[in-house]
This record gives sequence, structure tokens and C-alpha cells, in this order.
Amino acid sequence: MWDQVKQALAQSTMRFLTRFANLLPGIAALIVALVLSVLLAWILAIIARRLLASLHFDERLGQWGFASLAEWSPMNSPTRLVSRSLATLVIVTGFLIGIAAFDFEWTYLLVQSVFAYIPNVLAALLVLLVGNIIARFLARSVVIGGVNLNLQYARLLSVGVKWLVIVLAVAMALEHLRIAPAVVQLAFGILFGGIVFALALAVGLGSKEFVTKSLERDAKKVSSEAVEDPLRHL
Amino acid sequence: MEVEPIPQEAQENIEQVDRADLVVGVLAHLDQDGLVIVCDALRTLSGSPRIAVLRDNHAASSAPANSDTVEKSASPFLIPWPLFRPDAPGMPAISMSTAYQAVFAAAERLEARACCVIASRLETVTPRWACRLAQPLLEEGVDLVVPHYARHKFEGLLNSSIISPLMRCLYGKQIHNPLGPDLGVSRRLFQKMLVTDSNAGVKGNRVHPLTSLVPAALCDNLQICEVHVGARVYPPTDWMNISSLVAQVLGPIFLDMERNAACWQKMRTSVPVSSFGEPVLVSQDTGTVDVTRMVESFQLGIRDLQEIWGLVLPPSTLFELRKLSRMSLEQFRMPDELWVRIVYDFALAHRLRTINRDHLLKSMTPLYLAWVASYANHLETAGAVALERRLEQLCSAYESGKAYLVSRWRWPDRFNP
Repeated sequence: MWDQVKQALAQSTMRFLTRFANLLPGIAALIVALVLSVLLAWILAIIARRLLASLHFDERLGQWGFASLAEWSPMNSPTRLVSRSLATLVIVTGFLIGIAAFDFEWTYLLVQSVFAYIPNVLAALLVLLVGNIIARFLARSVVIGGVNLNLQYARLLSVGVKWLVIVLAVAMALEHLRIAPAVVQLAFGILFGGIVFALALAVGLGSKEFVTKSLERDAKKVSSEAVEDPLRHL
Repeated sequence: MEVEPIPQEAQENIEQVDRADLVVGVLAHLDQDGLVIVCDALRTLSGSPRIAVLRDNHAASSAPANSDTVEKSASPFLIPWPLFRPDAPGMPAISMSTAYQAVFAAAERLEARACCVIASRLETVTPRWACRLAQPLLEEGVDLVVPHYARHKFEGLLNSSIISPLMRCLYGKQIHNPLGPDLGVSRRLFQKMLVTDSNAGVKGNRVHPLTSLVPAALCDNLQICEVHVGARVYPPTDWMNISSLVAQVLGPIFLDMERNAACWQKMRTSVPVSSFGEPVLVSQDTGTVDVTRMVESFQLGIRDLQEIWGLVLPPSTLFELRKLSRMSLEQFRMPDELWVRIVYDFALAHRLRTINRDHLLKSMTPLYLAWVASYANHLETAGAVALERRLEQLCSAYESGKAYLVSRWRWPDRFNP
């Protein structure tokens, strides 16, 4: 009986050791891939940081209307945010390559699905970036145009337009990421419609006085024609 | 030399004339009688020069029959030409620019010694004023003749507040209406403008002939003179498009500042230019100016545009503006030094592309309106003498502030707001 137990233990130990020995090349490959990717990430981060610093990236980003990005960045520097993101991307890629070296079916499938998902992530990021740029540009155009037309609700309009575009961009990005598409569609519809409705209400109520004034002005136009505006600009 | 393409419909007309000593482009909407007066005046020029008058197709269509061909009985020859009218709705500055280039191209094609542009309807059309623009070009060898309109305190405000004092302080010559629009240009200068424009066009940065003429002439040490041409009829203010007007006028001026930085940084003081003709006095009586709308626009700007202005203006200027926004309508006065710094800071932000250039220039409108309100309050009851004193004071402020502009232009980072 004892001999049989000993034999069974020896066999399971043997199986464990065999499997562990089979894992060792994969672990070694993972460690090598990680070390190499960390090294590469460090070099790339330094290059990116120096390049962006020489281009005054932080200042330019502020000028392009992305000053708030500094608040989310490590040490309030978007340059560091970019260089660290790049380094993280390289390390994660190295880790995935290392995992693939285990030569198991599930690791292979995992790595394949992660790599297949990367274009979606990149497309979603691009959509978010472009959406953000368009939102800020339109918001500025609206606020400047609104102020020049003497609209008291210029700021409100500009914020509304900005959020409309951002919500649209976020919905498109989530669509690309294939995250709960049905929920995203529903939520987008509700949010978009809500913003438009809120803006319509705000502008409608706000412009009531404006419309009244303008109608009054039209009515008084005939009598005020005698008092012509003497200002000429060009 | 590469000449601007001349419209197909004008090619044949221009070939019939062959050559001319003087080309006159009539951009103003003159009726047949007005055109006859201009032609009669041009005939009085000494030396009987061969003159070609380019008149707008639209004006020609209202003229008697047979007006779409060259009338070549005697000089001046009337050539129908598809010129854009300066009062074209929407984009006045751009259509003006195209029209000026077309006149220069025609003058080059006809190998003219000089060309003139008549763009504004003058209140006092006398037989003398049309040839006043041409005379110094043909007889005195002057390269650029600019008009000196009889000044009315509330007219040409963009010119009084920015264009004239800025050009004076930058290029060192006291020119009252540097943007014309009625101008006389020598062959040397219009050839230069055509070459500069084709070079700039290659780089995708076209030159606006109206704004570039005076800087180009001054930087090349060409001879400039002013002629007194009476009072000008200004188009009424379109309050809905005032920001577009500000952007269209200031954009090319700021671009020229960038192009001619090496030239204007050397200038220190300003001197008057020689002038011809007798000044005409106009009445300074006006109706009441309601500054409420302009002050309200400025206050709205203070409330909503701070974020944008904060990228352009230093904190001290923003502080002064906030103080100004709390003043009552009657006491509303913007100090000249503050206004001058605002103009300089916007010119610098335009150069540095701190924000989108169109946004930048349009966001300046409430500040410009604040200046207009302050100016209107100041000069409400003023006469001609007080007006001249006030504008001279503003020009002096521009000149004393030039050191600030030069410093910021050379070392923008060191003075970063």
C-alpha cells in the first residue's frame, strides 16, 4: 500500500516537474522579452521626451486649446504623458510577445485576439482626438460669433455645441471598441436628444426677450430712421 | 514678368488699345455723368498722355448701347472690364484685392507708366480730383499717391484707431489713409506688387495689394505723397458683420508686419509726407452716438471671451479691461496706452499663431468696439481741432509703445503673458 502511494506521489511529482520544465523556456522567453521591451521602452521614452521638448509640445498643446490635458498628465507635463504612454505600449507589446512564446493554444488565442483588437482601439483613440479638436474649434467659433452678435447666451451655446460633438465622438469611439453597442446607441440617443432639447429650451427662453426687442426695434424703425447711426468703420 | 491672367472677355478689348501711358481703374459705381467728369478731368493732364479707363461691366450694362466694346474715338479709351465692386456684399476686402490685382495686370499688359484706382464715391466731385491722383505720378515721378480725405470724426474709425497710427509708427511716415482706397501707383511699384503676389501665391500666402502697397513702397524707399481729395462717402455700418470686417482688414496688415519685420524694426520716428492740393474742411456736427450696444458687446466679451483673451493678453491688460468693464456708460474711457498694447499683443499672437487666426481677429471685435465707444464719448461735442489733437495723441501712444512691440516681437517667450 505504502509503495503504491509512494509510486503515485513520485509519478505526480514527475508530471509536475515535467510540466514545469516545459514552462521554463517560455518563462525565460517572457523574461527576455520583458527585459528587452523595458529597455526599448526606456530608450523610446527618452527620445520622445527630448523630441517633444524641443518642439515645445507642452506650450503648443496649450495654444491648440488642450491646456486641460496638463492637469491629467504626470508632473503636469503632456510630454511626460506621451512618453510614458509610449513606454507602456512597448512594454505591453513585449509582454504579449513573451506570453505567445509559451506555445499553448490559449496563450496563442489570447495574443491573437488582443492584437486583432488593437486597430479598434487606435481607431477609437483617433475618433476621440479628432472629435475633441472639432469640439473645441466649434466651441470657440460659436462663443466668438455669439459675443459679436451680442448674444447673452453665447457661452451656453458654445458649451452645448462642444458637448454635442464630444458625445458624438465618444459614441463613435465606443462603437469602434464594440462595447455594449445597444446600450451605447440608446445612451447616445438619450444624451444627444437631451442636449439638443436643453439647448433649444435655453435658447428659446433666453431669446424671448431678444425677439421682443427686435420686433419692437422693427416697429420703431420708421421713427428712428431720422436718427441715423453716424459711425462708419471703413 | 508673369502677369495675372486677364479675364477672357477683357482680352480682346485690351488688345484693341495696344498700349497706354496711364491706366485708370474705376471700381466705384459711377454713373455715365460721373464717368464723363472723370474722363474730362483726365484729359486736362499735361503732355496729353494716352489713357485707358477700365470701367466695371456692371456699370457698363446700365450705360447706353454698344458699351461692351472699346470706345476708341480718342483718349481716354473706355475698356469694359469685369472688375469687382468694392461694395460687393460678403467679402469686401477680398473682392477689392482681386480688383486691384486686375488693374495692375492690365496696366502691365498695356505697358503703362502708372495706374490709378478710383474706388470711392466722393462727395464733392470736381473736375480736378480725378487727375490729382495721376498728376504726381506722371509729372513729379512719385511712386505712390495716397488720398487724404477730409476727416470726419466718426468716419473711417478702423483707419483712425488702428490702420493709420500703426502704419505710421511701424514705417515712419505720417500717412492719413494708407489703405486708400483711391490710389495712384507708378509702374515700378505695380510691377513689384505683381511679382510679390505671384511669389507669395506660390507659397500659398497671397499679398493683399491694398495693405501691402504702402509698406512695400516705404520699405523700398520709394517716393510717396498725399493728395487732398475732399470728403469720402463711407458705406453704412453693417453691425452684423463687423467682426468679419475687422478680421478681413487686420489679417493682411498683420501678415505684412510679419513680412516686413526687418524693415519696420529699424524705424524710430515718423515724418510727414509731401502733400498736394488744399485741405477741405467738413462739418463735424453729427447726430447722437449711442454707445450702449458697443459697451454691452465689450462687457459680454469680458464675461465670455476671457479664456481666449488670456492666451493673447498679459494679466495686467486683462486687469485693466476688467476695471474698464465696470465703468458707467458716461465715464467709459479706454486709455490710449491700453488700446495700443492690445493691438500690439494681437499682432504678436497673429504672428505666433497662438490660436486660429480667424478666431483671434474676430475675438478682437469687442475690444475694438470698446475703443470706439470710448472715442465717441470723448469726441461727442468736439470740433475739427480737438479731433486732430485726439488722433495725434493716439499716434504718439502708438509710437511710444513701439519699444514694447519690438521687444515682444524679438523675444516673445521672455514676455509671455
